[in-house]
Amino acid sequence: MGEIITITSGKGGVGKSTTVANIATAMAQEGKKVIAIDFDIGLRNLDMLLGLENRIVYDVVDVMEGNCNLSQAVINDKNTKGLFFLPASQTKDKNILNVEKIEKLLNELKGIYDYILVDSPAGIESGFEHSVYLADRALVVTTPEVSAVRDADRVIGIIDAKSLKAKNGEEVEKHVIINRLKPELVERGDMLAIDDVLQILSLPLIGVVPDDEKVVSATNRGEPVVLNKESRSGEAYRRIAKRVMGEEVEFMDLNEKKSLGKLLKGLFR
Amino acid sequence: MSLMGKLFGKEQGSASVARDRLMVTLAKERASNAFPYMEEMKRDIIEVIKKYTKVKDVTITTDKNQDIDFIEIDVALGK
Ligand SMILES: Nc1ncnc2c1ncn2[C@@H]1O[C@H](COP(=O)(O)OP(=O)(O)O)[C@@H](O)[C@H]1O
Ligand SMILES: [Mg+2]
Repeated sequence: MGEIITITSGKGGVGKSTTVANIATAMAQEGKKVIAIDFDIGLRNLDMLLGLENRIVYDVVDVMEGNCNLSQAVINDKNTKGLFFLPASQTKDKNILNVEKIEKLLNELKGIYDYILVDSPAGIESGFEHSVYLADRALVVTTPEVSAVRDADRVIGIIDAKSLKAKNGEEVEKHVIINRLKPELVERGDMLAIDDVLQILSLPLIGVVPDDEKVVSATNRGEPVVLNKESRSGEAYRRIAKRVMGEEVEFMDLNEKKSLGKLLKGLFR
Repeated sequence: MSLMGKLFGKEQGSASVARDRLMVTLAKERASNAFPYMEEMKRDIIEVIKKYTKVKDVTITTDKNQDIDFIEIDVALGK
């Protein structure tokens, strides 16, 4: 049976969709059968990140409403074998989703795929509830900024309240992804450090992704940055994917570009 | 901060301010988020107590000790 992993956040624009596109790609590259679902109904954008926007015929709501079969709506990724995509609906009202239909769809997907990655909308409105309802685990994405961390805390507090797993007495496994970290700023004391964020949110870390211009160019091309073997952010996503799959992987040293001066300074810590 | 930074009296960065502000704010917010239906509960409790005795006010406070959440209900009876 496949595992349902919801990628969520409190604040918008912190990198959820980027995370889904990259982790899904990396898992498929590791030989898993993966489907990425855009649950941000009304605000489709995972399609652009994967470069699949021109292949959409049906969307997730069409499947749930019975306008088409699952296989008619699912799109094969163009770069990565084993990666599939189910787009959000753009036109329909997000209140159209209901729990029974979501449950039916996700249970069907669990029988087909190893991993089902759900790209959730930000915040705590109905779309959020739907995307965490059947989650086996949740990855909470935040940037190291006060408003993002504050909203992450709020969301972490209600994941279990909205989850079926929690209703049955289990707990949704939750991890934090810290995105867009700028090591120079942390070094200077002008950005929350990894430990600060973890201490505040009191959740385990599953990965840190540096702020990286290559994410922007990858998005422009519609080719997730993990496809770029040289990129630091791609390497970070690759490691996160492996950890999600249960492998133990060392955390990256994000301060690699240390100058001699900095190295010397390090001696005096 | 590094030892060098301390020796030369380098100013504290904004990150420590961010951390402190978050800790304070979240401590408050968590308490109120933990029980979203507090006002309704308070009203119900007053109704129940009224059946048996006078009641002037009910104060509900929340607390957390290790992994256990507590609520404390204080009932002020009238004269
Ligand atoms: N690690 C990163 N480095 C640089 N830019 C990033 C990074 N992660 C995300 N971004 C950018 O941030 C913006 C928001 O990302 P997105 O994944 O759409 O967020 P969300 O889905 O949470 O709204 C996008 O423009 C994206 O390219
Ligand atoms: Mg998004």
